[in-house]
Amino acid sequence: MNNEKILKLSSITKKLLLALFGTFLLVFLLFHMVANLFILADDGGDAYSAFCHFMGTNMFVKVAELVLLGCFILHIGLAGYLWFCNRGKRPVRYHQPSRTKTAKGSKLAMISGSLLLVLLIFHFYDFYFVKLNVVKGGHYMVKTEEFVLSNPDQEVSEEAQIVVMKAIQDQKVSSDGQSLRDLSLEDKEILQQNFPDAEFEPDFYNTAHDKFSVWHIVLCYLVFFFVVGLHIRHGFESAFQTFGLNHYKYSRLIQILGIIYCWIVCLGFAVVPLTVFIKSLIA
Amino acid sequence: MNFTLHIWRQENATAEGHFETYKVSDISPDCSFLEMLDILNEQLINDKIAHPVCFDNDCREGICGMCGLYINGRPHGNDDGITTCQLHMRKFHDGDEIWIEPWRAKAFPIIRDLVVDRSAFDKIIQAGGYISVTTGGVPDANTIPVPKRFADMAMDAAECIGCGACVAACKNASAMLFVGAKVAHLAMLPQGHVEAQERVKKMVCRMDELGFGSCTNTYACEAECPKQIKRQNIARMNREWIKQLFAGNHKPAE
Amino acid sequence: MNLNSKIPEGPLSEKWTRYKAMQKLVNPANKRKLDIIVVGTGLAGASAAASLGALGFNVDIFCIQDSPRRAHSIAAQGGINAAKNYQNDGDSVERLFRDTIKGGDYRAREANVYRLAEVSGDIIDQCVAQGVPFARDYSGLLDNRSFGGAQVSRTFYARGQTGQQLLLGAYGALSREIERGSVKLHNRCEMEELVLIKDKDGMERARGIIVRNLVSGKLERYSAHAVVLATGGYGNVYFLSTNAMNSNGSAAWICHRKGAAFANPCYVQIHPTCIPVHGDYQSKLTLMSESLRNDGRIWVPKKKEDAEAIRAGKKKANDIPEEERDYYLERRYPAFGNLVPRDVASRAAKERCDAGYGVAPTGLAVFLDFSDAIKRLGKKVVEQKYGNLFQMYQKITDENPYETPMMIYPAVHYTMGGLWVDYELQTTIPGLFAAGEANFSDHGANRLGASALMQGLADGYFVLPYTLQNYLSDQITLGKIPTDSPEFDEAEKAVRQREEKLMGIGGDKTVDYFHKKLGHIMWEYVGMSRNEESLTKAKTMIDELEDEFWSNLRVPGNIESFNPEMEKALRLADYFELARLITADAMHRKESCGGHFRTEMQTEDGETKRDDENFMYVAAWEYQGHNNPEILHKEPLNYEHIKIATRNYKN
Repeated sequence: MNNEKILKLSSITKKLLLALFGTFLLVFLLFHMVANLFILADDGGDAYSAFCHFMGTNMFVKVAELVLLGCFILHIGLAGYLWFCNRGKRPVRYHQPSRTKTAKGSKLAMISGSLLLVLLIFHFYDFYFVKLNVVKGGHYMVKTEEFVLSNPDQEVSEEAQIVVMKAIQDQKVSSDGQSLRDLSLEDKEILQQNFPDAEFEPDFYNTAHDKFSVWHIVLCYLVFFFVVGLHIRHGFESAFQTFGLNHYKYSRLIQILGIIYCWIVCLGFAVVPLTVFIKSLIA
Repeated sequence: MNFTLHIWRQENATAEGHFETYKVSDISPDCSFLEMLDILNEQLINDKIAHPVCFDNDCREGICGMCGLYINGRPHGNDDGITTCQLHMRKFHDGDEIWIEPWRAKAFPIIRDLVVDRSAFDKIIQAGGYISVTTGGVPDANTIPVPKRFADMAMDAAECIGCGACVAACKNASAMLFVGAKVAHLAMLPQGHVEAQERVKKMVCRMDELGFGSCTNTYACEAECPKQIKRQNIARMNREWIKQLFAGNHKPAE
Repeated sequence: MNLNSKIPEGPLSEKWTRYKAMQKLVNPANKRKLDIIVVGTGLAGASAAASLGALGFNVDIFCIQDSPRRAHSIAAQGGINAAKNYQNDGDSVERLFRDTIKGGDYRAREANVYRLAEVSGDIIDQCVAQGVPFARDYSGLLDNRSFGGAQVSRTFYARGQTGQQLLLGAYGALSREIERGSVKLHNRCEMEELVLIKDKDGMERARGIIVRNLVSGKLERYSAHAVVLATGGYGNVYFLSTNAMNSNGSAAWICHRKGAAFANPCYVQIHPTCIPVHGDYQSKLTLMSESLRNDGRIWVPKKKEDAEAIRAGKKKANDIPEEERDYYLERRYPAFGNLVPRDVASRAAKERCDAGYGVAPTGLAVFLDFSDAIKRLGKKVVEQKYGNLFQMYQKITDENPYETPMMIYPAVHYTMGGLWVDYELQTTIPGLFAAGEANFSDHGANRLGASALMQGLADGYFVLPYTLQNYLSDQITLGKIPTDSPEFDEAEKAVRQREEKLMGIGGDKTVDYFHKKLGHIMWEYVGMSRNEESLTKAKTMIDELEDEFWSNLRVPGNIESFNPEMEKALRLADYFELARLITADAMHRKESCGGHFRTEMQTEDGETKRDDENFMYVAAWEYQGHNNPEILHKEPLNYEHIKIATRNYKN
């Protein structure tokens, strides 16, 4: 299919694709939310780090990640394109603002979506881009074995020694004793100079704890989740409608499921920064 | 009752339009909205102030689908499940300001004042909104039983009067409810199954060509439909569309 | 003028079969060479155009609204009759035929009515195949309901919107032909003149029409080998009626002026259950289904003081005790009670109101009371049966019919009269056909409920496609008819002159002012009951009003623009002539039959009294120029098959 043909897809097909990509994202959100809950485990980040490690290294996950990224881009791109197409359909606008009772989530979908995109960039800056090593920041971790193995005989600089000593002193060793965590960017760079082959990973557990101890960041994230909620409130029901699965008999059920899903995802996301923040207050 | 009316005036399709303000007084609360406009027009002709306001209307009992005004931000005015001709002045308060606008959509160009050209709807139906039978040569009416449930659902969809309120209400000026209602009505009946896939394909393509927007699932159409046709008909159309997408074309053997 | 009804030879039940077997046909290749104009897109027009287009003719179809689907057939509620006998209750073609003849008070043509009954079943088959969602029972088979004037259940229905669904079916068929290119649609066009051209034998044939493009106001010419008129009835001459605002009699009247005979104009059906007039600003009357009379009881106060108190708003209906209520229909017609036929119920309501017992501020309404039914059946059952009607009533009147009785009054509903047509539906102008309510049709002096839809579709689907071919078979060599002939020039000039004349009056009064006045005259003096005196009075008043119209009318705007006032003025100008003809016809028919009630001709109990000896004919009138009395031609009605009897509803 060439470009022209894609652009000529019928309005329903475009909408179908939009919904299809959106559905992937909906599923992903649930997954992401569940993963986040590991942060709440009171194990100093063992479980979460293990999970992050798996996610960062597994081949299938990497493929899935690419698909997901594609979904994001296509979902956003299509939404933008449809919006652009629809813009000219009412050349002269009404003088009076509409007083029709409508599904607010859908009416605001474009706005909530655009807002999401902006917030998402910040979120990516905090986490995802760090993972991709596009942005440097937050905390890092490294497997101690790898250090030793990568550089068994080499002299280690004094600086590095101090870093390691300090880390051990501050109990920045994982409970299995196999990795160093909670390393600051500076520490990581010092170590990296000494152990060029060691593979450092971002330590999202501690990064999250760090960020979520600051009230305005927590607030920003809560707003973010609210907007996510607004958007999927529209998305869930709309997906059924667009896939033609809305039927008199089930429409109420779909509505209820949509609301439940929306609350689960929103609360599931919100509980992490809130708990971390409260914990930090107590501490 | 007294009202101040702000009415869109536009000489013809190409002229610039603007709002004009008129006052009407001593209107009975039992008066229908269109009768109130009749009174205004009588006044305009008698006083030789301006050309009477043009607006489409015909049966004045809510079935022909001819009338349609955008009144104070709502197609067919501030009541549910009615056409403009069924709106009565008792729904307003004495002294109200009323803004009256034509349907606004790229696919519905203005002819004069509040009259718009809705032939686009006819063209969508012409694309395939029917069962292709010619007169005569059909089986006896009771040959194919239709479950009552389906017949009733088909009737729900078939009640569409083609007034265009769905397009007027939709933020994208989409005709999905209109097309969905016809597609669903015919797809629900065994007689309509035969052409269901071809029908949805042709009608949707025609709809897109004619400059209607796409659906964003806000259901403004459903909220303003004078016959309260449901969004499920749009879902039905989407379903038919998907079936059609995956159906193979018949290619004759070489 | 020669009224040849061209009824085929042979026994009644074989006439149509024989006609079809013997008629001339046009071969497929030649159909392409023939053009047909169809004016009107209601049931008759749309079905005719779709069927003719499918046969291969080139059809041009015209409607005044923005879409063919707006035609007023859409507003028919009740249903459509067909002799299917699905209920096994003894229905048959013969019985439908007899019921229709009897319902029409023995003033319809036997052969036409029999054909109507014969094709009625095919209509249902056709509509079901088109996807009309008729009501069905739990077996999935078609459901029927019963209707006035019949002892069997033969009415097929789609909720309260049968007309809408049938029209959308025909509109679908029409749309299909438009897509295929065999039919060309011209919306927002109104026929303003019929063009007659002499053929080589010197016979004038209908060859085209001049239409006003309602958007631009420009005149356009269209030619064809035959013209079909399906433009509905002329009920709007009464201004207030159940007709749509744009329904009008002009197209038929234009043809009448050009030489087509107009038959039985005085047969006007008045429907008893309409929402009454509530103010002089009112533009239209809304029908409440006849079915309400099954459980509702109709009454007015026994005492005039009570009626006056109600009119003044001092008393409410519920303040009148049971013994002070006059259930006049039950009193006068013990056997049928509230279920007497439409014309009888209408006249009885008028009689009470004229006598000063009317309710509502105008004094022109009677009560339709459901309190007994609610007591007997419970509110829930009543709601199930009539909920949507009650809701409609409440929307319009803002009164709750569950608590206070409804107010109803008769209103003009349907016109049985129309252009005279023969068995082939051809008018007295060769090449001009009329179908549906526009022709004088098969209903005699009174139409039964659910028969109008049947007739419109019968004409369009199953009669015209045959009879038109018979007419067109010798026209194939003619070729396309040019529209630049002197006949077209002249016709167009005449229309422009008429428009200019109306525009040039430059008076002070609006079209509606005159129309309301005319409607008032017609309703008062040529309405539900007529007599020599009222008709004479009406004639003078119409003449006076017409003079005033032509000297004091004001049409704003320009001729060549979108100008609804101009359209209305053109129609009203014709209504004056039509009103005069209705009056003249009512005057000449010194008998009472069906919808035509002469007070001089009634039985001792105030019922209609026919005069079969002197008036057993169709009155077909020939136009003689503006203001000249028209010439009456009679087509005798010969009943070979049916024995004539009197209608009786008392016992």
